[in-house]
Amino acid sequence: MGEGEKKPKFAVDPNSAKFKLNEIVAKHYKEVQEAKDRGEKIGWCASNFPQEIFQTLGIKVCYPENQAAAIAARGAGQRLCEISEAEGYSNDICAYARISLAHMMVGETPEQNMPLPDFVLCCNNICNCMIKWYENIAKELNIPLILIDIPFNPDYEVSDAQVAYVKSQFLAAIEQLEEITGKKWSDEKFKEIMEISNRTSRAWLEATAYTKYTPSPLNGFDLLNHMAVAVCARGTVEAAEAFETLLEEYKKAVEEGTSTFRAEEKYRIMFEGIACWPHLRTTATGLKSRGINMVATIYADAFGFIYDDFDGLIRAYCNVPNAMNLEHARDKREAIVKNTNTEGLLVHTNRSCKLWSGFMYEMSRQIGEDCQIPVTSFDGDQADPRNFSEAQYETRVQGLTEIMESNKGGKD
Amino acid sequence: MATLNELLENFHDIACSPKKQLNAYLKQGKKVVACVPVYTPGELIHSMGLVPMGAWGADIELKESKRYFPAFICSIMQSILELGIRGEYKGISAIVIPSLCDSLKCLGQNWKYAVKDISFIPMTYPQNRKPESGKEFTKASYERVIRDLEAATGEKFSEDSLAKSNEIYNEHNAAMRKLTEVLEQHPSITAVQRRDIFKSAHFMLKEEHTALVSQLIEALSQVEEKKSKIKVITTGILADSDGLLKIFDEHGLQIAADDVAHESRQYRTDVNLELEPLEGLADKFSRMDHCSVLFDPEKKRAGYIVDLAKKYKAKGVVVLLTKFCDPEEFDYVMVKKACAEAGIPIIQIEVDRQMVNYEQAGTMMEAFIDML
Repeated sequence: MGEGEKKPKFAVDPNSAKFKLNEIVAKHYKEVQEAKDRGEKIGWCASNFPQEIFQTLGIKVCYPENQAAAIAARGAGQRLCEISEAEGYSNDICAYARISLAHMMVGETPEQNMPLPDFVLCCNNICNCMIKWYENIAKELNIPLILIDIPFNPDYEVSDAQVAYVKSQFLAAIEQLEEITGKKWSDEKFKEIMEISNRTSRAWLEATAYTKYTPSPLNGFDLLNHMAVAVCARGTVEAAEAFETLLEEYKKAVEEGTSTFRAEEKYRIMFEGIACWPHLRTTATGLKSRGINMVATIYADAFGFIYDDFDGLIRAYCNVPNAMNLEHARDKREAIVKNTNTEGLLVHTNRSCKLWSGFMYEMSRQIGEDCQIPVTSFDGDQADPRNFSEAQYETRVQGLTEIMESNKGGKD
Repeated sequence: MATLNELLENFHDIACSPKKQLNAYLKQGKKVVACVPVYTPGELIHSMGLVPMGAWGADIELKESKRYFPAFICSIMQSILELGIRGEYKGISAIVIPSLCDSLKCLGQNWKYAVKDISFIPMTYPQNRKPESGKEFTKASYERVIRDLEAATGEKFSEDSLAKSNEIYNEHNAAMRKLTEVLEQHPSITAVQRRDIFKSAHFMLKEEHTALVSQLIEALSQVEEKKSKIKVITTGILADSDGLLKIFDEHGLQIAADDVAHESRQYRTDVNLELEPLEGLADKFSRMDHCSVLFDPEKKRAGYIVDLAKKYKAKGVVVLLTKFCDPEEFDYVMVKKACAEAGIPIIQIEVDRQMVNYEQAGTMMEAFIDML
């Protein structure tokens, strides 16, 4: 190519959902940095901390889990993990935590930067590991830590005692944040934020539900990218609008018979667990090359919160997938499997996530038996590239494909 | 009056044969309830006329548990499930499993399907345990345990009985704290013997253990110590393995005090007997601190370990890190820093319940002793 000649860059349509969603993520990081630069207090926040609190207060926060996923997807997971390990953190600790603690130590991470926090907002409805990780950040940076403790629920339904306990912490968190940031709570604004959050969640859940169509109008891996918006901007009108655009696109795709899955959809599977970010291309290609589309994931439910009132909001945060008992978690997945005509289950046994993997063998066995679909697992990690073997992945996915193929034969 | 050696042998026998203890209690017509780490409301179980017995796993090979747990779940959880599947807990009426860490949450869920004949009773502790709402939640969780115990055993709960059990447990706590002080003055008691005394507490009714410990303290008062050893503090979830503890003894190390979950962490906090019994028990949990599975935003545990080392004039801190225990792994970095700031040498030895070769641990310990 001669000097001055440049290959035209593929431009994403600015009216597309993809463009809007990418913009929201970019704007989110930019706004937090700008707030920090203005001297405002900013926080780091756990992905399932009730965002309604700080959205109402107009406080800017960013999400270490999103950051760690982005860093890992851009190839820097191992570098950051090793920084934490040199400090004494075991390499058995969650890789998101290791990456985040490393970023805290070095302050700048070009793969996905984030300003250091003035406070941290922790919620353990996804795992207790979160508490330990945020304790250490709070101690090292000498900043306040606000914990909304949402215990793992051993029962199917959320008890009134748990709702009362969580509600009281919700109110305490508001007071603490008012004190830290000087910002004031408004009930009217809270109502507005709840409405927007519900609108966003509805659009997100409706859009993700389009995988029920055969063929699906989307490559399930798209959701892994869009999820970042569901996490960081659920309480914003922009996010609601972007997901509504996404919904329209899927609707149109079904009508026109198109799909973002760029292959013939031969098999439809549920993918269980967090994505293997450092090996996203390998894991995606391993499926696509065999005509396997991921049409079912609990992820969609994980970040869609629908509620009518304050009590409903509390119950919704108590009912996230990782805070549920086996039976409830299983039934939710089985409903998705049935609704999407899923033909196989691929489980990511994620070295980073003890809670997600610790009773998955039994739960996936039950799902396989109840739904009569084959189940296969592979070993991997959400962010540490060292805990994944491409050869094992290929073998396992091939095995799953062969059973699904044989099942199709049997059904004909 | 039993001699010191007889007492030590007795502690050893009890510590090393929980099955024998279980069968003896069953033979007496008592019902036994297993208590999984790190904390369970033993007082409640005891008050209902049941025998709470600690279930902290065992040094065994894992086979059946692998059908439920991936390899990166700690060996304590794995071996508890393994023992359950193998039928080692046969005769037990129920098992109380708290959800204080992510692996414990999973143990409870797996238990329901892996060991169907022993009822799983969940104990859900709050992490924000200090505010009133936290205490109320603890109390509600205790009430749920009571309902489940009544259903599993047919026994009934009463506040009056709990008041008595709270008192018995407070007395046992006091005896165990006194024991630490006494043992510190007696370097001739080996690390293995010290473990036996602490471990046996999990397999006995507390009033029986208090009586034995009191006899031991009395017997030790007659012993004149001639040689001193190098004092260290141990910290971690478990310090149970013979192979590992013998390294302490072979290298002239004395465990002067501990911050081990299976040992002293159990006995630091008493029930306030002036409160209503159940409320008092919830209040006790709200005041418990310095533990890796209890929310500790200021990481006070690190300072606590430094203070413990200073109090007992320990030359160093030995961290016995249970492999795959992430609460302890996170705390380790903070403990290491606090010790470094205080000029206290610290060593981390990774342990699990499948360890058979202690050569590496021995070599590490030798290098550590050279530093002291």
